[in-house]
Amino acid sequence: MREHPDTAAHIATCDDCQACAALDRAALDVDLEKAWTGVAAEAWAGRRPWPERMAARLLGSPALARALATTPSLFLSWILASSAVFLAGVLVTPVSGEPWAALIAPALAGAGIAYAYGPGVDPAFEIMRTTATSGRMILLARALAVFALNAALGLVASLFTAATVGLTVGWLLPMTTVSALALAAATLTRSTNAGVLVALCAWGMVVSVSAARVRDLDATVTTGALMPFYAVATAVFVALVLYSINAQWEEPVWR
Amino acid sequence: MEMNVRAAEVTRRFGRTEVLKNVNLSVGRGVFGLLGPNGAGKTTLLRTLATAIEPSTGSLSLLGFDPKDPGERRAFRRRLGYLPQTLGYYPNFTVFEFVEYFALLKEVPNKDVKPAVARAIERVGLGDRAKSKMKTLSGGMIRRVGIAQAIVNEPELLLLDEPTAGLDPEQRVLFRSLIRDFGERDTVVVSTHLVEDVGAACTEVALMDGGGIVFRGTPEDLKARGEGHAIGDSPLERGYGAVLAGARS
Repeated sequence: MREHPDTAAHIATCDDCQACAALDRAALDVDLEKAWTGVAAEAWAGRRPWPERMAARLLGSPALARALATTPSLFLSWILASSAVFLAGVLVTPVSGEPWAALIAPALAGAGIAYAYGPGVDPAFEIMRTTATSGRMILLARALAVFALNAALGLVASLFTAATVGLTVGWLLPMTTVSALALAAATLTRSTNAGVLVALCAWGMVVSVSAARVRDLDATVTTGALMPFYAVATAVFVALVLYSINAQWEEPVWR
Repeated sequence: MEMNVRAAEVTRRFGRTEVLKNVNLSVGRGVFGLLGPNGAGKTTLLRTLATAIEPSTGSLSLLGFDPKDPGERRAFRRRLGYLPQTLGYYPNFTVFEFVEYFALLKEVPNKDVKPAVARAIERVGLGDRAKSKMKTLSGGMIRRVGIAQAIVNEPELLLLDEPTAGLDPEQRVLFRSLIRDFGERDTVVVSTHLVEDVGAACTEVALMDGGGIVFRGTPEDLKARGEGHAIGDSPLERGYGAVLAGARS
């Protein structure tokens, strides 16, 4: 191999040395900072738990999914405590003859909602409220998740004590269905206000129609026959959320 | 010069207490320091500019957007970085997850989120703790994570409330250099009661007292106001003391 003297005069006139110098310059053009950032980002980013990944797909928004994962009343410890309280209610109900499971359910759902969103509950609320993601949308998603959890617990409890059936059918399930409708409408219209309005109107219609057919205002929440309707409606609304997310090209815009 | 922050006759009341009193403020590009004693209204003014709270009366224009309009407020919030006085956090999140959470909430495009988070963490010097849980960090480190979440979206307006509280001298120097960098392109408003921060990093300063702005000028102007004033260890502190004494007399 030919020796090349390392002098400015030689390098300036030698084609081989000029080619090597060009390669060196190209190598130096690599943005090392950018490359390092990319490597660091991959190394530091952990894989998110499957419920969050599923929620991100369902809601079409990783931001809402992460906000859902940070709901204080959906932490594992809270869910375990709620389940334990429900279980205690189920066990005590047949022994005492009092509907303890049914009495406990509203309190748990209420506490779950109270600890779902807001200052003093969410540690990062102050920053969260100044971000572009709508706080109302976060609240709506969290409310649906809390109601769904309580409805699921109520359904499980219903397998063991009849006292919970009425409550689950009459309260927890409709609550979940109406929340799912509000979320679906908000997703389709890109407006939280529209979501809430649609949900309230729909619920008003269900109550009116039900009352007119059986001449009993309570029928909407006391008739077990409506349980399949609520279950199907909830599934349809969730499917609508999925559809609307997939149909839109842009990232969700909440108002 | 283009004014990125305009507050006109802004008042904020909490019950019967008027915390901000007819504040008028225009801030352009650069690092703007807000000085003042505790209870002067600095935090309330920053929270108002961050759209965390609404003014009771008066109007705001932030980066050209009117925050009263929901659509414009959202557009503004995408361009905002905000570090509150007290940073709440999720103890079981890692540093990366915490900063990533706010990148997502600020609607940083999905493909850019991870590199943006890594860059923000590197800029506050926490690369070696990126995978540490928040609950294992010291107070100064948590403050730096707070700064990282504030800058993760490359904000055009950066609002920092007592950012240097809990930072050691070396970190403070690093931080001042960071906000000077931001101030070259964008607008940074820093609330502090440490006058040395103002001298080292700010191009302009306002002094608040009793809910209003009682002085506005450059750090040099503030130093000049302190000439002949006895109280204070540095020219800036003497200026600070002299302006406050003047406002209260």
